[in-house]
Amino acid sequence: MTGLDAISAANGWAIAVVGVTIVFTGLVLLSLAISQLHKILQMWEDRRRLMEQVSNKWKPRLQTEQKIESAPNAHDIKETAKQAKILVQFIGEPFPLPKLLELSGSCGIFKPYSTINALVLNKYLIPDGRGYYRWNSDKKI
Amino acid sequence: MTIDAKLIEGFNVFRELDADELKKVAELMSPMSVTEGEILTQKDKPARTFYVVIKGNFMIEFEGERAFTIHEPGTVMGWSTLVTPFTYKGTAVALTDGEVVEMPGNRFYELIQSDSGLCDKVMKRINRIIEERMPFMKGELTGSEQKLTE
Repeated sequence: MTGLDAISAANGWAIAVVGVTIVFTGLVLLSLAISQLHKILQMWEDRRRLMEQVSNKWKPRLQTEQKIESAPNAHDIKETAKQAKILVQFIGEPFPLPKLLELSGSCGIFKPYSTINALVLNKYLIPDGRGYYRWNSDKKI
Repeated sequence: MTIDAKLIEGFNVFRELDADELKKVAELMSPMSVTEGEILTQKDKPARTFYVVIKGNFMIEFEGERAFTIHEPGTVMGWSTLVTPFTYKGTAVALTDGEVVEMPGNRFYELIQSDSGLCDKVMKRINRIIEERMPFMKGELTGSEQKLTE
């Protein structure tokens, strides 16, 4: 048996259709992946901020409430100020506030954003008028 | 969910608006809760949402890691939604949990484009905000105390 009969007898048509489908699907997936590559690369570049956003969104409500209850009081703020002062000395003055935030987070300071906010509100950290900040040496810790 | 116009009538940016104008603006706004560390605007990204602070503390970071903090209700974030090229000039992050009202930038832009009186009143305030923040964007601060009130 030869020719088209042989192809039919050996399931050649079905195999050909499956082959074409696999190749076509692969090419479609590849083109989709390439078309979305810029988004994936952008997400990779912003991964730290995205992780922070996701972790903040999914924090259990109870944990958030507990943290609010344990917001720094006058004693805590002095303790935190001591830690922050060490970081400020490490960075050097004047320093960018985002840099202090980043360093506070990586050094494990509890609730770095609200802690830095408390330091600003309590005038431990004062703006230098040029967009950067200085440690207020008049504040006793 | 829209908001009550009374919530925004005292805010500096909307201070000159009459009751009808306030109502039109408030209809575009919806309340939004933010959590500590949440990013509202990202520098150089398309400016799509205009925010006004209701409660909470925020930081806006500009080029060269220059930054200032925001603690006052009524402060505007995302004015770039009203000014070409419609890209955010800074990254705004919540320092504490808080509340803002958000407004789609394109709809706010369309509203002020369609009403010259409203446009004049809002853009006068927005221009003042831009004037105050421009030195942070360009790094041209002189070292004198900068008072950011809006």
